[in-house]
This record gives sequence, C-alpha cells and structure tokens, in this order.
Amino acid sequence: MLLTSLTVDPAEFAAQTGWESKPEGLCKGAMCVPAPEAITPEGELDVQIVSERLGMSLVEEPASRMWALGPESGGTALSTATVPDIELPDMDGNPFSLSALHGRKVLLVAWASW
Amino acid sequence: MVTVALDLDPEKARTWIDAANQTHPSLVDSHHVIDARLGISNVPMAVWIDETGTLVRPAEGASIEVSPLRDMEITDDIPERMRVALTEIKKMPDTAEAYRAAIADWVEKGADSEFALSPEEVIARSQPRPHEHSRAAALFELGCHLHDTVGKEAAVPLWKEAHALHRENWTYKRQAWTLESTPEGEESDMSQEVGDVYGTSWLDDVLALGGGANYTVTPDL
Repeated sequence: MLLTSLTVDPAEFAAQTGWESKPEGLCKGAMCVPAPEAITPEGELDVQIVSERLGMSLVEEPASRMWALGPESGGTALSTATVPDIELPDMDGNPFSLSALHGRKVLLVAWASW
Repeated sequence: MVTVALDLDPEKARTWIDAANQTHPSLVDSHHVIDARLGISNVPMAVWIDETGTLVRPAEGASIEVSPLRDMEITDDIPERMRVALTEIKKMPDTAEAYRAAIADWVEKGADSEFALSPEEVIARSQPRPHEHSRAAALFELGCHLHDTVGKEAAVPLWKEAHALHRENWTYKRQAWTLESTPEGEESDMSQEVGDVYGTSWLDDVLALGGGANYTVTPDL
C-alpha cells in the first residue's frame, strides 16, 4: 500500500489491506489485534503503530516523501480465506471489483507478458 | 474466470488480451498487489473462489498445458547454459492434466469436490510469510512507483533488495529483469541474463533455489 503520509483513513486502509478498524481492534476475518493507540484524535490510523502491531513492513522513500506498507507477516500469506475486495483496472482503465462476481465460482489466474 | 496480468506496462499485456478475444474480465495489476493480497509468487498461478467469495484453494501453480520446452530434445549443439536451463525445465513438476481435471471437477461438484478445501486448509496451505517478505512487497511496490514517476534507475536498488528478501517470488524478479533483458519491442527473453544490473539470471536463481523442481508452487491435488 502506497502512502503519502503516516496517517491513513481507516476505510481506505481496509480497502487496501483487508484490515478493518473495529472497537475490538484491527480485524481481518476472525482475527483481531488490539491497537487502541493506533487511532489518532482525528479518527485516522497511525501507520507506524499499525505497522508494528501487524508486522507490516514500512519503507520510506525520503526524496518523494512516499511510504509503502507491506502485508502483515509472521504467519502465512493468507490469514483468512475470505477474498479481499480487490479492485483492479481492465485494459481500458475501467475499475473492476472482484466482489462483482459474488454468486459465481471464480478461477482467478495470474499471468504476465514477460 | 478472471485473468490478472502482472505487467508494469499494461500495454505489454494488451497484445495478448486482444489476440485472445476473451469474454471474461481481463484485469491488469501493474504493481503486483495480488502477490501480497493473495500470495501469488509466479505465473501462471491461480486461486479458486467459491460463490460466497471464499477461497477454496490458495495460490498455486496453474499450468493447464505442458510447456513444449519440456519435450525439447537436449542435443549436443545446444549451448551449455541452454542445456542446463532445459534440464531444469524438465524437472519442473508436470501437473497440467491433473490441475485441469481438478478445475473441471470443482466446477461440476462445487463444495463436494475433493479439490475444494476448507478455509482452514486454504490458510494452512498458503505460503509462509516472514517479515522479510512483507518488506519485499513494500520495496517492490515503492520501486514500481519510482519507476513510473522517476525512472527505472530509481527503482532498481529497491527491486534488488526485494529480490534478495523474497527469493521465491519470481514475479518481482522477472518483472524487473525483463526491463533489462527485453529491449522495447522484442519478444520476451526467458533466459534473462541480467548480470550487469542484477548480478544474476533466471537460470542462476533457479539453480540457487534448488533447481527446476522448486520453481513453482506445485498444487497438492
């Protein structure tokens, strides 16, 4: 997840990572990690605290004041079998959300031209 | 079916998508975010998703055709490095027929298919993710951003570190390498001899990781 500041809107964070901010903490699937201090007075998430709690590596690019946050770590690549609502563009740039295919079986195939 | 092209330059994928004239959604993931979100680490790989939006198989090798390179005769007139590469390619597990049959079984039987896994099995069978892999994902994505906004040279140091931290991730490596080994407009270069920039090559890394048998996440069917 690319960031331009070290605070992030919880809804945006959930859309990008699958981790939702709930009263019991940061939650993904059945897993919740308490992180009361991660919520700023403005209602945003403190990325550095989230990074530490969830084992998400935070990398800074000082020249452009950009950060990238990696996925949670310390376990397996999947922490839940619920598919995140990933949104990607088609070749014309139109966004397509995987949730549009609910109700159908989906074989999602990753490929590349290289 | 949904296809996702892991291509930094979406136009590289367009030729293939147009030629296939597909009717299913054909998406582009230029920063390889599905690597982090679904556990993709090579191509082709696939996940199976049921009608409720639940994974019933994690990311695994998804070849449904046997590569013609597997059947290529290794003759004495082939250069040494190519001979070694072909030898390793022949060691890659051939699960194409079994995987294709498993897909058909799941399509027909759904949750009753022996190949549809429980959520617990899906999670357990997904690949390990140590902290180094999280940092690799962040570095790769930030590198893609720098590639897009500053230029390739700004991305290379981050990509090199990502490659070192997550050696089993071939999409991070091959995406970066192809920018060095495949001049604009030429066909993809499988051998990817990119020592000048990355100090390695496709073959060197295959051998370093134990050979062709370890190149893909083999589906356990």
